[in-house]
Amino acid sequence: MADNTPALDRRTFLKASSVTGGGLLMTIALPACSTLKNGGINRDNGSQGWDANAWLRIDSDNSIHFVLDRTEMGQGTYTGMTSLLAEELEVDPEVVQVSFAGVDSVYRNTIYGIQITGGSTSVASSWQIIRECGAATRMMLIQAAATTWGISPDLCYAELGHVVNKTTANKISFGQLAAIAATYSLPSDIPLKDKADFKVIGKYNKRLDAEKKATGSADFGIDTQLPGMLYAVVSRAARWDSELKSFDDSNARKVPGVVDVFAIEVPGSAGVAVVANSYWQARKAQQQLTVEWHNSELTQVSDDSIFAQYQADMAADSGNNVRDQGDINAALDNAADTIRAEYKMPFLAHATLEPQNCTAWAREDGLEIWAPTQGPDMARVAAAKASRYSLDDIKVNVTFIGGGFGRRINNDFVAEAAAISDRLQQPVKLIWSREEDTQRDFYRPSSYHQLTATVDQQGKISGWRHQMAGSGVFDYFVGEAAPAQYPFMPKFMFGMLESAGKLGEGIIAPADGSIFEGANHLPYEFDNISVDYKKSDSGILVGNWRSVGYSHNGFITETFIDQLAARQQTDPVNFRLNLLKNNPRATRVLKLAAEKASWGTPLPGCSQGVALHKSFGTWVAEIADVAVKDGNIQVKRVVCVVDCGQVVNPDTVTAQMEGGIIFALTAALYGKISIKNGEPQQTNFHDYQLLRMPQSPQIDVHIIDSDESPTGVGEPGVPPLAAAVANAISRKTGQRFYSLPLELNS
Amino acid sequence: MIELTVNGVRHTLDVEADTPLLWVVRDYLNLTGSKFGCGAGLCGACTMHLNGSPIRSCITPLAAVAGQQITTIEGIGSSGNLSTVQQAWVEHNVPQCGYCQSGQIMSASALLRDNPNPSDADIDNAMSGNICRCGTYPRIKKAIKHAAGQLSADRNSDLFKELTHG
Repeated sequence: MADNTPALDRRTFLKASSVTGGGLLMTIALPACSTLKNGGINRDNGSQGWDANAWLRIDSDNSIHFVLDRTEMGQGTYTGMTSLLAEELEVDPEVVQVSFAGVDSVYRNTIYGIQITGGSTSVASSWQIIRECGAATRMMLIQAAATTWGISPDLCYAELGHVVNKTTANKISFGQLAAIAATYSLPSDIPLKDKADFKVIGKYNKRLDAEKKATGSADFGIDTQLPGMLYAVVSRAARWDSELKSFDDSNARKVPGVVDVFAIEVPGSAGVAVVANSYWQARKAQQQLTVEWHNSELTQVSDDSIFAQYQADMAADSGNNVRDQGDINAALDNAADTIRAEYKMPFLAHATLEPQNCTAWAREDGLEIWAPTQGPDMARVAAAKASRYSLDDIKVNVTFIGGGFGRRINNDFVAEAAAISDRLQQPVKLIWSREEDTQRDFYRPSSYHQLTATVDQQGKISGWRHQMAGSGVFDYFVGEAAPAQYPFMPKFMFGMLESAGKLGEGIIAPADGSIFEGANHLPYEFDNISVDYKKSDSGILVGNWRSVGYSHNGFITETFIDQLAARQQTDPVNFRLNLLKNNPRATRVLKLAAEKASWGTPLPGCSQGVALHKSFGTWVAEIADVAVKDGNIQVKRVVCVVDCGQVVNPDTVTAQMEGGIIFALTAALYGKISIKNGEPQQTNFHDYQLLRMPQSPQIDVHIIDSDESPTGVGEPGVPPLAAAVANAISRKTGQRFYSLPLELNS
Repeated sequence: MIELTVNGVRHTLDVEADTPLLWVVRDYLNLTGSKFGCGAGLCGACTMHLNGSPIRSCITPLAAVAGQQITTIEGIGSSGNLSTVQQAWVEHNVPQCGYCQSGQIMSASALLRDNPNPSDADIDNAMSGNICRCGTYPRIKKAIKHAAGQLSADRNSDLFKELTHG
């Protein structure tokens, strides 16, 4: 998925220019794709007349506009990225007006080479460039003030949106200086602030979107309103690969308000759209629709057959070796004892609280999309594939997102809306029901794992072997990702790009680690380690699910290591520390967690379990205090220690750890999508339960103070949690857990 | 024609009587702060007040509330004019994705009106019908306690202004 070219140095391409009315515009001067010919419909005043590649604009009225090139789905980019800018620009983050970026290659995530918000990468990938943009602008504004006053820039400084004359204490606002600054070229050297001088980074603790979200005024995708807008729902096959045989819409068309009923074909999936004047009319009509589907290849596929397939495929061929240290075969041959375990991990739905939805408006001159998507450029590809429009004629507007967790990297809902609006040439809002959202998800892949540890003649653990099988998620979004990387390619090349992307996985694109990540980087210092991944496609739709491969490998490696500690009759914290002697960051995180949780002194009625995992560059240790009462698992407290390098917004880090823990606890206690005859069985929150307040534990988060480069926080709170809870129960009852959700022996 | 009062404003609507209140408010009155989450009364994202009591508007047909008083999140407070509960939400950085928070605030506001000094168990009980997928429960709890403290300090504050509609 990554660009072949090295990560873009966007600083080189920053360009200042003037705007009407005497403002300053900072753009990223790369060859940009054209956008919708008429410029589209600007619903936000702030985006009126923007260049496609704008980043920062300072108007003469002193208003400051920042284009956020990462989506806000709860993880805090809206505040975090704005804070980076505000720090160097010397403004209060609260005065910055934020809007979401459309599609342009300048907004690509430099880590992935496409415009994606995922992988807990936003701060890590933008840490340098946004600050440089802010710093360069500040330097130019200071120069403009110095010129005005006829003094050296050294005698000026910037503060709260003004440049101040050190000698006279006179001030000029950024807005008044913008027109002058706009005539300058970018400074060649852009020094950034020292940590000691930070006023915002590591200190600012508010959330810039909190008020909008507490008043119901934040516009999510589902809130998009257009003049004359119609509403659509889509009937889909229970098995995603079924083709449409026939449908009878005679009764559906009689329902008041129905506008049209027709078949839509979007890549990889078929459906029948019902369009009406209101959402409820469309739903009522849908109930009167009868659809027949052709049989699918998945008819014989169920959980048991899927795991049998994984097991058989792994037995036939252990697949790719993704970690080889020492000599695992020698360790096995010389072992005095071996400990073996077999793990089965379930499919999981994302269950974003905002169901999938998209609003599309197809017109003669182009197609405009409003979507809660994690990948605007992939959404544009999805819309192009499902409609008559080319990429150049499609504009994507990104909204606030009611939960992403990886679901909205796949843009099937955008394709459907585009196809429907294209057919009608009218604005249409498509809304999925909860049932549709649960049953047509790109699930966290299920997977099968065999763990083997060897004990040598001296009684020491000498080797660790982890073998696994399951689907890779890459295959299920490369069809959108590959064309998104080459927006200049015509549509007829999309299929070729998808095939090339699949073939190039691991060569021109990074290897798909969605099953093995977190297993291959096992931190424990065993002499012999071997990790193998056998790709075995279940045929069920799969995708990125918050923390992806780490979500299962955190559980597996950290429960198995605990089992080894018990076998060695060693305290689980000490056992780990002894195997992390060369890893000071891991050691520090784990030791602090043990201290903060009073390791060894559980809460009354509880036992304690620990787990440690690194994901997305961030170390997290969690210690859970768990009670088992009347056959129920009650997690009373989770102590979490995180080392994510330099912190931008401490409260966001804390919130993401809290949220990650609750997200993971939901999966640990309830999470499972079961497949029967190719059909996902769960439908709504009664059978796909989410954790509620009474089950929510006390959570104490501690952040390590660090000068290291910042790493992700949106996902790393998830992986250790299930293991910490399972280990706590094992400690008390002796029962070990090899699958999720956790099920107590009766 | 069905009559309905929403946030103190009377509406006469030509909408099918079985249409859930949620879609009437969102699609016909253009008040989009109340959210659609499950369509089955399971998640609480659509919570509104009917004569001051919290209801799940996604399963409440329009006919059932004809002629009555409805309050939505837009009737609780707005930017620059936040209710005490909303203010507590902002101070504790409660929202993450924010999608459920209108419903959470509606449930919390009703709780605090009936029980100005709720215990942990009272809060758990009153809020257990509202799902937050981002996991903001610890902060919701803190914000409710904070708001309760504010409320007891000033019973006549704007905290209860929504009641004037009900």
